[in-house]
Amino acid sequence: MAVETVLSSAFNLGVLDSMTDDSIEEILESWNGFSTATEALLKGKGDLSVGSDFISCVLLLCKHRLRELVQDHFFQVLEEMFEKAASMFWSHFDGYDEFALSKMDVFDVQEGIQQVLCKALEDLSLEKDYQEKCLLMLVHALQSHQEGTFNSDAVRSHIFSKYHLMISSVLMTSLPRHFPETLRFYFKQRLEELSVLMARDNEDLNETPNKDNMDLDERTKVSSRDGGMDIDDMYLDTKLSENNKLVKNIGKVVRDLRSFGFTSMTEDAYASAIFYLLKKKVHNLAGDDYRNSVLEPIKEWIQAVPLQFLYALLAYLGDSVSYDSSSCGLKSPLASHPSSCSPGVDTPSEGLVRWQLRLEYYAYETLQDLRIAKLFEIIVDYPDSCPAIEDLKQCLEYTGQHSKLVDSFISALRYRLLTAGASTNDILHQYVSSIKALRIIDPTGVFLEAVGEPIRDYLRGGNANGPGNTGDSLLEELNRDEGNQELSGYDEEFNTDDKQSWTNAECWEPDPAEADPSKGSRNRRKIDILGMIVGIIGSKDQLVNEYRVMLAEKLLNKSDYDIDAEIRTLELLKIHFGESSMQKCEIMLNDLIDSKRTNSNIKATMTCPSHAVPEQEEAEVSADVVNATIISANFWPSIQDEPLNVPGIVDQLLADYAERFHAIKTPRKLLWKKNLGTVKLELQFEGRAVQFTVAPVHATIIMKFQDQTSWTSLNLAAAIGVPVDALNRRINFWISKGIISESLGSEPDNHIFTLVDGMVDSGSNGTSTAVCEDLIAADEGGERSVASVEEQLRKEMTVYEKFIMGMLTNFGSMSLDRIHNTLKMFCVADPPYDKSLQQLQSFLSGLTAEEKLELRDGISRVFDLRNIPVRGQGSTILSSISGVQCCGQGAVAVSPEVSISRFTRFYCSFVLRMRQCAYKVFSSWTCSEIGFLAVLWRVVFCLAEAVADFFTRRL
Amino acid sequence: MPTTTQGYEGNTPAAAIAPSKQQMLPAKSVDTQAVLKRLQSELMSLMMGGDPGISAFPEEDNIFCWKGTIHGSKDTVFEGTEYKLSLSFPTDYPFKPPKVKFDTACFHPNVDVYGNICLDILQDKWSSAYDVRTILLSIQSLLGEPNTSSPLNTQAAALWINQEEYRKMVEKLYKPASA
Repeated sequence: MAVETVLSSAFNLGVLDSMTDDSIEEILESWNGFSTATEALLKGKGDLSVGSDFISCVLLLCKHRLRELVQDHFFQVLEEMFEKAASMFWSHFDGYDEFALSKMDVFDVQEGIQQVLCKALEDLSLEKDYQEKCLLMLVHALQSHQEGTFNSDAVRSHIFSKYHLMISSVLMTSLPRHFPETLRFYFKQRLEELSVLMARDNEDLNETPNKDNMDLDERTKVSSRDGGMDIDDMYLDTKLSENNKLVKNIGKVVRDLRSFGFTSMTEDAYASAIFYLLKKKVHNLAGDDYRNSVLEPIKEWIQAVPLQFLYALLAYLGDSVSYDSSSCGLKSPLASHPSSCSPGVDTPSEGLVRWQLRLEYYAYETLQDLRIAKLFEIIVDYPDSCPAIEDLKQCLEYTGQHSKLVDSFISALRYRLLTAGASTNDILHQYVSSIKALRIIDPTGVFLEAVGEPIRDYLRGGNANGPGNTGDSLLEELNRDEGNQELSGYDEEFNTDDKQSWTNAECWEPDPAEADPSKGSRNRRKIDILGMIVGIIGSKDQLVNEYRVMLAEKLLNKSDYDIDAEIRTLELLKIHFGESSMQKCEIMLNDLIDSKRTNSNIKATMTCPSHAVPEQEEAEVSADVVNATIISANFWPSIQDEPLNVPGIVDQLLADYAERFHAIKTPRKLLWKKNLGTVKLELQFEGRAVQFTVAPVHATIIMKFQDQTSWTSLNLAAAIGVPVDALNRRINFWISKGIISESLGSEPDNHIFTLVDGMVDSGSNGTSTAVCEDLIAADEGGERSVASVEEQLRKEMTVYEKFIMGMLTNFGSMSLDRIHNTLKMFCVADPPYDKSLQQLQSFLSGLTAEEKLELRDGISRVFDLRNIPVRGQGSTILSSISGVQCCGQGAVAVSPEVSISRFTRFYCSFVLRMRQCAYKVFSSWTCSEIGFLAVLWRVVFCLAEAVADFFTRRL
Repeated sequence: MPTTTQGYEGNTPAAAIAPSKQQMLPAKSVDTQAVLKRLQSELMSLMMGGDPGISAFPEEDNIFCWKGTIHGSKDTVFEGTEYKLSLSFPTDYPFKPPKVKFDTACFHPNVDVYGNICLDILQDKWSSAYDVRTILLSIQSLLGEPNTSSPLNTQAAALWINQEEYRKMVEKLYKPASA
């Protein structure tokens, strides 16, 4: 083989001719010598005795200008040898592929990998060292040959770099797939170990008196480790040296790996290990606890553990430019106090700074993801979860992933809150909390709008279970903290406003880009939660009305006259809405105050006659038991009237009361709403008494059983004066209490109710002491004393319906606008017509759906009574279009300050509408007047003119 | 631009009427208020009363001019017909009767070809206790029970005896309100 090579190399050269047999002989001889020497040297394992032979052969061959050949051959043999070593090296890790890793016991793996890696690296390093020595020999030989002619260092470095390239390529080509994973695993463990050690160090250094305070998770980590690691009792020095040793160990591994060309893989591995650890730490710290800020601890931890490690590692590897490696052994950076422990504060190496930034960003991102995923929960316990929100805010400042927050939160809302099962109360609570929480994160309130949108839509969409259901506490609560916060906030804001306006101007920030630009940037969004709630409901009046109904309900169900809370709420609402809009509510409260006075007055004058008439004593009801709430019906929401025949004695009592009232307050008379209020009553059975607080209907029912223990439902209903189905619903209360039993009568609808004697089964009721039943419970039949706003609205609208019917009967078809105007003009009833065009339209559509009306023309919205021939349709359209035209021109003429964009938008939508309109006419061809189209286009042209004129004037 | 003027007119007639009213009755402005109130409440009670077969409503901008609608009562020759009326109230309304006439042609002994009605309560028997509702009800009953002794339309009065022929005549002359 060697000869062939020689020949092949000789072919090219003319020198071959000049070669003598002797020289050829000599070359062959020395080549053979060189080959065997090389073999012996490289495979000899440490036997360098052939060195002199080797050198002489090399020198000889070099003399014959076969230097290249020598090098190549040497490397070839080296490569062969190293391949063997590499396969040996990899075989160490055969047991640690992913599959095996997942199967093996964690502890085994930990120990195993550590040892195997070290041993394998050691072996390989030995091999490499030896080969390098051999290589050095070659280099020496070559150098001695070329002395003086070449830069010897260049030769040397050239050869070594070639060698390194070779070994790394050999290793890479034979790299098993699971090796990076194994490496990562190794680093993960070592780092965990290290972090435990360091955490302990910190504690010791902080001299915390109670070591038991050590984080539980860390303790468990420790306990999962073997006992050899348990160094609780060792001294600080030992620990430090231990740390150092560990870092050095790792450093050695890293250096070895690097020397084999695994630089990037190694870095990858320990980076991912660090990130893994960091993530784990963040999850550990953050968890589901929103009451504490975790950002600082995380940052501290980053400083304390990964950065320390990296610092030490970089120092060990000598990468740290500014670091004097000689001092490494003398003064460990870990010895420095952790509080001041940003390593290399004085001269942080560039790499370290980059690492720190990377780690912090990763921490922010992790924490942010964690918090965003749990944002819903965080907002649920809002006031307590403030620290978490602050954290999130900081994270977002770094990461800038606001859109992620918005998206995720909206989907969480959709999924968890805006469902049919959620009560309006909860939704509003969450909404308010969201407002407050998101304010913290984003003071500009931009993505609050984005997030609030679905909630507002949902609530407005009427999917809500009636905003007034039991939401009375909401406003109060809202006002309580809102009031405190805002009232104090107001002054502050006003004071700071002047000061801040300047600074604001200086540090103006654009709205976060994540916000939908269509929302526009209102530069200063005031914190006005009530305003936002008003925004949901649609109008202030509606909210006030809703509140009035709520208040009425509440006041009517009060058994005492204590209305302090309501007065306070009202005062707060007045601040928001102004005195005038809350006037009715104020009158309602005043009614209650008056009632209290009147009530005591009447009672004082009534007690005398009741003493004089003994038979009233006999009946065991005196005027004392009556407390009246006297209301001025005009100012209260309409009250549900339900017929009810109260028992005779009570009726008598009420009549007396009313008479007294009339006597005191002539000419006023008292009209009892007998179905409202509460009755406290006591049922006496043999040897026991049970108290109830119920609605008057319930009381009336049970009193009927006083003298007759069994009633049929028809009879009972007739006696009480309520419909049978209402009775059946009401009596369920007593049945559920086990006081009345129900049995089927002769007819299917006529049940028989019997008083249960002895209350045998009322044992379930438990204590014989006062079982005060909640009125709410009694009222769960869904009956409310005050007509809800919807009902009221419907009632109002029935008046309008009659008017609308009337006008349509007499005028035939009318356009929506005309109906609206006519109602405004003539419907001055109480309440006067005050609906918007939109409200009227929806009402009319309702009537259309009920087939009371007919919509003749969808565009101009002409309504007509059903089955009455349509007239004057075309002219109506004409007039309504001319109206539009006027308004279009008006917009231009009257308000030159109207913004161009707004006007353009208006114009575009108008043209669009017109086009739709025209299309409709064309397609259906119902309108015979050709002039209509002409007018239509004239309108469009007029507008175009107006717009053009407008622009020229503006420009 | 003719359309503009049209729109202008449509939008401001109320303003145009107000001064004319004042010119007519400068001294009785307080009373006018009372008349307005009275008419308002009459409208309200009429709307809420919901009497079948009669209806009336003020014209678009003037509460002194109403349009009324009367359906012919059942079991009379006028069954199934619908008559439009116009009512115009004097400014001293409850003390003077309103002027009522048929807009729809009505073949009736007490209604002339111009729609004028001969009804005692609209003339000498008027009392301020009457209101729109009673007027309309009276006219509705007048349709079925004409006073043939003092007819405005003698042909109708003569034909009244023959109800079948009369019915045919009514149907022949009846033009639905669209006319």
